[in-house]
Amino acid sequence: MSIEQFKNRNVSDDYFLVDIEDYPTDGWGQFKRVVKRTFKGELFVGLWVVLREMIKFDIHTVQYPKEKMPIGPRYRAVHEMKRLWESGTERCIGCGLCEKICISNCIRMETKIDENSRKEVSEYSINLGRCIFCGYCAEVCPELAITHGARYENASEQRAHFVMYEDMLTPIDMLKAGQQQEFEGFGAITPHEDERVKKTPLAY
Amino acid sequence: MKNLINFTINGKDVTAKKGETILTVARREGIYIPTMCYISKTTPCASCRMCLVEAKGVEGFVLSCNTPPTEGIEITTATDALQQERTNIMKLYDVNHPLECGVCDKSGECDLQNKTLEFGVAKQNFTARDQHRKIENWGLINYDPSLCILCEKCVHVCNEVIGDDAIDLQFGGYKSKVVPKNSDTLDCTFCGECIAVCPVGALVSSDFKYTANAWELSRVPATCVHCSAGCPLEYETRHTGIASKEKSIYRVKNNFEFSSLCGAGRFGFDFENKASKDETAFHKAVEALKNAKAIRFSSMITNEEALLLQRLKEKLGIKLFNEDARRFAEFMTSYASVSGKKHHSATLEAVRKSDAVIIIGSMIATDNPVVRYAMTTAAKHNGAKIIYAHPVEDPLMQNTVTQFLKYEVGTEEGVVALLAKYLLRDADLSDEERKYFENLDDGYLSAESNIGEDELEFMMKSLSRTKNRVLIIGNDIMAHKEAKNIAKLAAMIEKYSDFSILIVPRDVNTLGVSLTCSLDEDDSQSDVVGYNAAGNFVISSLPRADLAIASLNQQEGTFVTIDNRVVPTNAALGFEGYELNDIAKEFGVGKALTIDLTKELPVASGFKAVDFDNLENFLSPAGDDIRGYILDEIEVEMDGVLSDVEDLPEFNGTIIYNVNPVLQFNAYTNLTKQLERDKTLRGSAQFAAAARVSDGDKVEISYEGKSVVRTFKQEESLKGTIALNPTFDFDEGTGTYRFQKSKIMRVNDE
Repeated sequence: MSIEQFKNRNVSDDYFLVDIEDYPTDGWGQFKRVVKRTFKGELFVGLWVVLREMIKFDIHTVQYPKEKMPIGPRYRAVHEMKRLWESGTERCIGCGLCEKICISNCIRMETKIDENSRKEVSEYSINLGRCIFCGYCAEVCPELAITHGARYENASEQRAHFVMYEDMLTPIDMLKAGQQQEFEGFGAITPHEDERVKKTPLAY
Repeated sequence: MKNLINFTINGKDVTAKKGETILTVARREGIYIPTMCYISKTTPCASCRMCLVEAKGVEGFVLSCNTPPTEGIEITTATDALQQERTNIMKLYDVNHPLECGVCDKSGECDLQNKTLEFGVAKQNFTARDQHRKIENWGLINYDPSLCILCEKCVHVCNEVIGDDAIDLQFGGYKSKVVPKNSDTLDCTFCGECIAVCPVGALVSSDFKYTANAWELSRVPATCVHCSAGCPLEYETRHTGIASKEKSIYRVKNNFEFSSLCGAGRFGFDFENKASKDETAFHKAVEALKNAKAIRFSSMITNEEALLLQRLKEKLGIKLFNEDARRFAEFMTSYASVSGKKHHSATLEAVRKSDAVIIIGSMIATDNPVVRYAMTTAAKHNGAKIIYAHPVEDPLMQNTVTQFLKYEVGTEEGVVALLAKYLLRDADLSDEERKYFENLDDGYLSAESNIGEDELEFMMKSLSRTKNRVLIIGNDIMAHKEAKNIAKLAAMIEKYSDFSILIVPRDVNTLGVSLTCSLDEDDSQSDVVGYNAAGNFVISSLPRADLAIASLNQQEGTFVTIDNRVVPTNAALGFEGYELNDIAKEFGVGKALTIDLTKELPVASGFKAVDFDNLENFLSPAGDDIRGYILDEIEVEMDGVLSDVEDLPEFNGTIIYNVNPVLQFNAYTNLTKQLERDKTLRGSAQFAAAARVSDGDKVEISYEGKSVVRTFKQEESLKGTIALNPTFDFDEGTGTYRFQKSKIMRVNDE
């Protein structure tokens, strides 16, 4: 195969050259072109479209911040803490993997033993000023507890800007109303996951 | 040498010494054999059966952990059959093991996790009906039986190394679990060694449980500061919480494979001091030092601080008071004047390896638990005879002691003289020395000390076939009025018999201070600046000081341990305030850093001119202690002359013994959160009858111008007429004789 073949741009027979007038070369020709373009009827076509749409009141402007565009389910914005659908308890078990994997070192947590001898997360914070929203925390979470949400506004008066556990946790009434959104991004379970789960052999 | 056995492991020619097993040889040679239950400091449990190897000509597998090699045998440690067998064992371990690695405290440093991954256990062919297993809380220790893999490490260390013998395995097939021995709840000295050796998360510290993960903690290799054993440990630190930049210590770990820690070392780590740079207090301290006639200090300091104090003494022409170290130094000088060597001859390792130990003058289980552990190890592993001479029978030593010599309070001189006489019966003494012992009034000494001839003969009989013998001398001897003569008698034993001698210093650096400072007798004058001790102006790392300084877990420096080893310690936590070096700088004797003084420690006392940064602080993979360096032996002129044993003092009436309860040593352990504070006066029923007090009474104890109010607790395990009075919570004064005639009065509750 030779290079000529690649230089041949005629990939299809349907190609044709657009009929473009030659550019004017002298001053008079240029003047005529300006006058021709300026007083073209197309200006009024544009004005008519605006007038028409104004009368029809078919407005597509998003009234941000009152209105927001729906955001893709995999978008990685401010973190959320999820609850278990069945019981409403917090999914986070306090394993500390998100804290460990966080490459900008912005997650910190405190855990303790609760009255039922279980591990309880007593404090949890993410410094959004440092967070680069890489999504590793959501990916590593074994319980699908920490996920990314859709709240992308991070404006703050100072560089350090913390979000606490209670702020991230799905409110219990939202959960009961079935409004908890599952994250579909990286780290989330894939569809038909339960079909692939193997049971522990229980011979007895 | 006929004791050496030549054989091969995986084709490599290796040599075993007598008593070594295939596993120990393999480990020494760097050949890997997986184990789950093996722990170097105990006899093999042989419960995991992971250490199987193949031996040529032997059918089936051989357990390498408890099988000694035979001449010329060919051992193979890795074959497909072995791999299959070991994988199956791992699968069995994994049956019903809760999948809670996410919350388990052991995750990240778990033997089961590591080995499960190592053998690639991806599927399970075994099943068993799971049991309901209740989580037990035993005070400082938490036990989760469902995580337990029944490796028995905890049971073995508790029994063979510690000597508490407090836990046992309750056999019941799949229902087996670890239970407190002969008791509903755990009743032990809470050394926490079971936590340390637990390969899974079954036994954990209740305080640490679920507070941090293994991978978050940074390890600071340091030295324990609670007693003179100077155990190696690691402080594990992490940020205090989400809103704090400060670090705090979360737990203490040790190289449990070879060394042990007591409960105070393991759970008593939060004695750090907090302060900022207070300039007014600093100037006051400098001013106070200018006007002072003396500095009184405790032995809870580093060698470098001691050297700074010595330099301050030389610069300012003041006195240095430290009764504990002064008495120790005096004792050692007398000792050296007979033995010819500046330092005592035995180490903890020598005690561990011994087959006979005589201990006198110490309630060792609380004075220095690691010496007790060494004796336990000797008793369990070598069948050592442990002869325990003390006026108080310590219930903690019951499992270990083979002969108890109960002498009367104050008669230590007579007891050591009698011991020397009997132990040196067949020794090659000079005529003069022989005559000295012949002139001893045996009858009088025996009568006064209450140690009879038959007891001593029995002792000699039990010692007759022993080879490695150690004499341990405790703090009661150093504090005794006649300490100098006792030291010479002890040195005689060292010089003319095969006994090596271990002298137990009181505090972490009593030995170091006694070698670094020239001390003066404390005449309790005014104008004394206290350094971690009482004074008119107090510079201290304890609360309520006039100038706050860093605690020992916030300092770099060196200590001299009971093994005559100079060991480094590192700062686990930061400290914002001033340190002694800053004050010394004001007087022109300070250095840029305190640790610049490490290489200037006095060579005449045996120190080496080594930089702090060149001191190692770890145990070798084979378990050898290679921390720091051992003090050089210094030859001393032998000009000591034994003086005659004069009348032995008599202690009549109510006698208390100033000794701390388990887990408490000093004001620093008193600051910690986890350690139990038993502030009661403990005594036997006999004492209660004699002193006319009963259990639960509030009593005022007064002796030598001091008085303290305590609750009396009658303990069934105690015997005799001496009550035990704790000293960790009040300034008792170091270096005083711990038996005291005292007055005990009942006080009303108002």
